[in-house]
Amino acid sequence: MNTQNQNGYMLIFRGNDWHKGLSPEEMQNVSERWMAWFKGLLEEGKAVAGNPLAPEGKIVSGKSGRVVADGPFAESKEAVGGYFLLNVDSMDEAVAIAQMCPGLPHGAKVEVRPVLAECPLSGEAVPDAQLAGAAA
Amino acid sequence: MNAIEMSNNGYLLLFHTSDWWKNLGREELEKYVAQSNEWIGQLMTSGKASGGQGLARSGAVISSKNGRSVTDGPFAESKEVVGGYLLLNVETFEEAVAIAKTAPNLGFGSKVEVRPLTDTCPAQARLEELKREEELAPA
Repeated sequence: MNTQNQNGYMLIFRGNDWHKGLSPEEMQNVSERWMAWFKGLLEEGKAVAGNPLAPEGKIVSGKSGRVVADGPFAESKEAVGGYFLLNVDSMDEAVAIAQMCPGLPHGAKVEVRPVLAECPLSGEAVPDAQLAGAAA
Repeated sequence: MNAIEMSNNGYLLLFHTSDWWKNLGREELEKYVAQSNEWIGQLMTSGKASGGQGLARSGAVISSKNGRSVTDGPFAESKEVVGGYLLLNVETFEEAVAIAKTAPNLGFGSKVEVRPLTDTCPAQARLEELKREEELAPA
């Protein structure tokens, strides 16, 4: 799985219910370790950005975005709770970093995705030749 | 990779998408790509967007204690994944939602999630909520 990517990787933290069932002390502990983990990565230059996301949100869909629903679902294992942007070159390294997430033992999941040079909406929606170039 | 200015204010747009573009012809695809590049370009130029990137339709999901479980992508065809993100530098949720509604990929079935950035992790926020409840609880 040692694919290279010059554009870095995004860590998407999923699960907004992992802290349920933890005592206040445990919550404090995990929260502090998560912050320290992020700060360490920033200092090493391996992370360039990251934020937790507030639990409220909206999901816009349909032509011209005419449907606006409340989201994400409360207590969901898939809800996005935050993200990091990593400045590492290989999937292996991005995965190794993801495996250190302090939320993992409590049920959080970390999605690791290679960042593309293409625009965020087109993503992979480009002619095959260009896609081959971007993935190289 | 461009370093993105750290901010705790603002909003994140997450584009949830299946691989609908596989059904488009070359011309439609080029038109769509031009449209979305223009959309992003305008937002960046006006300063309303501070960064954004597409994500490859591959990756891995890490789970379980110590991250022992590593499930590889690519993701199954037509499964909805986060195809990209955009960081918005606007003041209100309403404005972020209004921008989300103009995303060119909506017409093809993509969904746009709008979330406020925060500097408080969900556990910390929950902790503070509990403390407030304690303070308010009758002695």
